[in-house]
Amino acid sequence: MSDEGRRARIVAAITGPGNARSVGALMHRLCRLAVDEMALSGCAVVLMSGTVPLGALASIGRHAATITDLQFELGEGPCLQACASGLPVLMPDLATDTARWPAFSPAAVAAGVRAEFSVPLSVGPSGIGTLDLCRAEPGMLSDHHLADVLVAADIARDAVLSLQEPAANADFAAMLDVVGSDRLVVHQATGMIAAQLNDTTMNALARLRAAAFESGRSIYEIAQDVVARRVGFDE
Amino acid sequence: MSEVTGGHARDGFASPGLEDAARPRERLLARAFVRLADTLVEEFDVVDFLQSLSSDSVEILGAEAAGVMLADPRGGLRLLASSEERMRILELFEIQGAQGPCLDAFGSGQTVQANTAEGRSRWPEFAQQAAAAGFGAMCAVPLQVRKNVIGALNLFRGTDELFSDDDLEIAQAMAGVAAIALIQERAIRERTLVSEQLEAALHSRIVIEQAKGMLAEYLVTSVDEAFILLRRYARDNNQKLTSVAIGVVDRQISSQALARPQP
Repeated sequence: MSDEGRRARIVAAITGPGNARSVGALMHRLCRLAVDEMALSGCAVVLMSGTVPLGALASIGRHAATITDLQFELGEGPCLQACASGLPVLMPDLATDTARWPAFSPAAVAAGVRAEFSVPLSVGPSGIGTLDLCRAEPGMLSDHHLADVLVAADIARDAVLSLQEPAANADFAAMLDVVGSDRLVVHQATGMIAAQLNDTTMNALARLRAAAFESGRSIYEIAQDVVARRVGFDE
Repeated sequence: MSEVTGGHARDGFASPGLEDAARPRERLLARAFVRLADTLVEEFDVVDFLQSLSSDSVEILGAEAAGVMLADPRGGLRLLASSEERMRILELFEIQGAQGPCLDAFGSGQTVQANTAEGRSRWPEFAQQAAAAGFGAMCAVPLQVRKNVIGALNLFRGTDELFSDDDLEIAQAMAGVAAIALIQERAIRERTLVSEQLEAALHSRIVIEQAKGMLAEYLVTSVDEAFILLRRYARDNNQKLTSVAIGVVDRQISSQALARPQP
């Protein structure tokens, strides 16, 4: 399945009947979906500023709070690394790989967690948090589940960004159902807007997404206008 | 590839001068592989490395443009590097995430090639854009490490002349080197590492695009020119292209520093 197909499926599942009224509620449904579909013992959406934890936006499953609390307490672990690097950290067996986090790994195993997968909410170098998944059993996610997790983290990122640029009458299904948002020109436009606003690329992306949503055009079309200098975001 | 001169076959005692003149491609190829081997010894930048590989394959195989696409662990293919950074060419590679020779080579693990007419019947939308960009014959060679197909090397010609068997063999050798460079040996045994390494490579390209946009804005230039500035700065300062891009995006490196000619 293409990633747009995956995205549409997950967005439909979390914005379906009984529409969520807040980003927190939406993320709660995302974590619930992940726990149910992937037999997880925990799933959380954690927000961070740099390496400073701001708290969990949603947290489902018996181990969800345990792993995030442990990492923030010990100052090391997959979600901190994922957020700092902008890259996913996949730990299929915390019991055999203890070298990377000598304090966190044994503590997590002692608490009953054997596998953890942490994916940054980011595009580019600076993350605003992570989507964290854990299991009581060791083992890697299937390719199909890993693809779903990466797409789910993109959705979580976009949902959190929408908090910064709240649109009137937020329609999450419409806001999150954005196609073509991974084209190269979108990343170029994000960089240009960040320069225009003298802000981070994450906030620039939030502005670009909000502009696309408000105009009813695709993020790809607006990005082309930005790069061609037909549209500017200077105040 | 034996050369026959003056009506009778030579038996390996051709003068060096003649040999060189008759085999410019072999020399280009040898030079390209030596350069690739040099790159691999040290820690290298994945986008920079694949761009050199693309440019080398263009030169050696008589193509107009070449690009490397990689598997996104989310599904589909993404452009990682191209011999041509002009946006129109980048987009021609990019749309092959949906349709085109790259996607077919990636899906089948087999080399795919087509002339204009064949391309039009197999991939109508893609072929139209390829023709609009001035391209004729095209081929795509899978990037694979053992049985794992991780992407494809894509070549375009300005004419409609198909790539010869020798051309395709060389393209496959170059794709093989690229695949080995991208996915380290130990990663083949661990699926986790393959995914992490592919994500890291794709992440590099995203950051470079963001940095291009930022530089284009700050320096009032085009995104194409911004890429040239980024690469020049990275080479002059002996830094990885991706590290420079991250530095620009995080504002650790001033855009003005890239505008000035390096001392």
